[in-house]
Amino acid sequence: MLEIKKVSKCFGRGTANEHQALSGLELHLLRGDFVTVLGSNGAGKSTLFNIICGTVQPDEGRILLDGKDITFQPEHRRALQIGRIFQDPMMGTAPSLTIEENLALAYSKQKKRSFSFAVSAGERNDFRERLAAFGMELENRMQTRVGTLSGGQRQVVTLLMATLVPPKLLLLDEHTAALDPATAEKVMRITNEIVNENRITTMMITHNMDQALVTGNRTIMMDGGGILFDISQKEREGLTAAALVELYAEHKKQSFSNDRMLLH
Amino acid sequence: MTLLIGSLELGLLYGIMVMGIYLSFRILNVPDLTAEGSFTLGLAASAVATASGHPAAGLFLAALAGGMAGLVTGFLQTRLLIHPVLAGILTMSGLYSVNMFVLGGTPNLTLLGKTTLFGAVQAAFPGMDKEAARLLVSGLFSLCCAGLMSVFFKTRLGLCIRATGDNEAMVRASSINVSATKMTALAISNALIALCGGIIAQYQSFADINSGVGILVVGLASVIIGEALFGRRSVTRGFFSAIAGSVIYRYIIALATKTNFFPAYMLRLLSAVIVGIALALPALRLLREQGALRRKHAA
Repeated sequence: MLEIKKVSKCFGRGTANEHQALSGLELHLLRGDFVTVLGSNGAGKSTLFNIICGTVQPDEGRILLDGKDITFQPEHRRALQIGRIFQDPMMGTAPSLTIEENLALAYSKQKKRSFSFAVSAGERNDFRERLAAFGMELENRMQTRVGTLSGGQRQVVTLLMATLVPPKLLLLDEHTAALDPATAEKVMRITNEIVNENRITTMMITHNMDQALVTGNRTIMMDGGGILFDISQKEREGLTAAALVELYAEHKKQSFSNDRMLLH
Repeated sequence: MTLLIGSLELGLLYGIMVMGIYLSFRILNVPDLTAEGSFTLGLAASAVATASGHPAAGLFLAALAGGMAGLVTGFLQTRLLIHPVLAGILTMSGLYSVNMFVLGGTPNLTLLGKTTLFGAVQAAFPGMDKEAARLLVSGLFSLCCAGLMSVFFKTRLGLCIRATGDNEAMVRASSINVSATKMTALAISNALIALCGGIIAQYQSFADINSGVGILVVGLASVIIGEALFGRRSVTRGFFSAIAGSVIYRYIIALATKTNFFPAYMLRLLSAVIVGIALALPALRLLREQGALRRKHAA
């Protein structure tokens, strides 16, 4: 499904701020995988997402989506197949457009007729039904400007926008981190519903270890621009956050001694 | 009476230019200085075509030329990544030479004795009074443009342009080519402005190389007057209030010249002050709130 082959990225090469964000990262996702991504700040999680989306070009390596090399495809072309949601609820929606217009814009991805009306009556009903299914009472506010909604409501609209035309790959960049716990839980429940229903291959960055272990079918821990460990299915079942931290420390020590061996 | 109707006509006609400014300034959220050049470009193109006996083709050429000027600015902004304001200034400065070339190397051109669109309409309806014909043409043009724009901004492409001015990152994430939408928007904006220049040339039967100077501030002032009176709720409302703002602006000019309250040449300063105050409102409001808070603490 998604193949990331030996991808490296270095920011500010040759300057004092040189930072190796990714070094020879390898990752293969199967169709329908729901991977949670853990890692401390600077581990390279967001850079990985940026490279998959095309916001950042890798120095080396290849990215294949469904067997097709997309390494040099411009960002807006990739967006046809890749949906992305950010931590900041402000980033995913246009504030002065109504809910309906925002959804129409996302839905029109697949349409190429520029001069047809943006929202048809059939689509309007479809949007309303889908919003109603979330139980956030947004379906009666289709003509409300998105800028007046709360962060959680905006994130739900963004979520629906990203999946209205189900993408091949969905990238969630800590999309519940800016929400209060109750809303975060609600948004997470809706996320699971959408992903399971459409069987979308998904990657989700999170700092919440418990959430990372119960969501999806696979968890990867990133560190220093690479993948420290990758656990799935049986291995992951029954693992607690404390055990995960232990696992992290163990692997970290190992990679440290490996580095030392390389240096000597 | 003549002054009243004349101002209404001018307001309606300049309203087309104000719609162009509204598009770039409010919808696309980019102040576009190309306006000063493209207005004169349309004026010159239309004047030259009218002088050779083709007033209708002149308007078409004016809009086309303006659209191309907008594309140049858009290209500088999106592909060559030049700062939007600077890109507009570059096109505007370059256009001075182009406009001079179009006018045949002379700074002005008179159309006295030539058939303009206004003259043609009057001739088509015998018995119609000159002012009535002028008012009819002005009203028809500006209302048609506003209607057309309102419909256009309900289409998919129109929605993309509105979203681009609102949240560029989100538009890119929706698989839309932001550079293309921006260039389209700037082309439409400058086509409107140049079309306005083209009609004005035929209205006053005269074209001058300096006609476009200060047009941006006039446009901004009209947009702001329109918004102050009719709000900025929807885009459709925005386009119609652009025309209303433009008409009111012309009445302010008429009032000033009629009463000799201040000399007409002071108007540009007044416009600049109006725009300046309107743009400073959010900051002024903040200052007032802070001041109130400080007084509360002091008490």
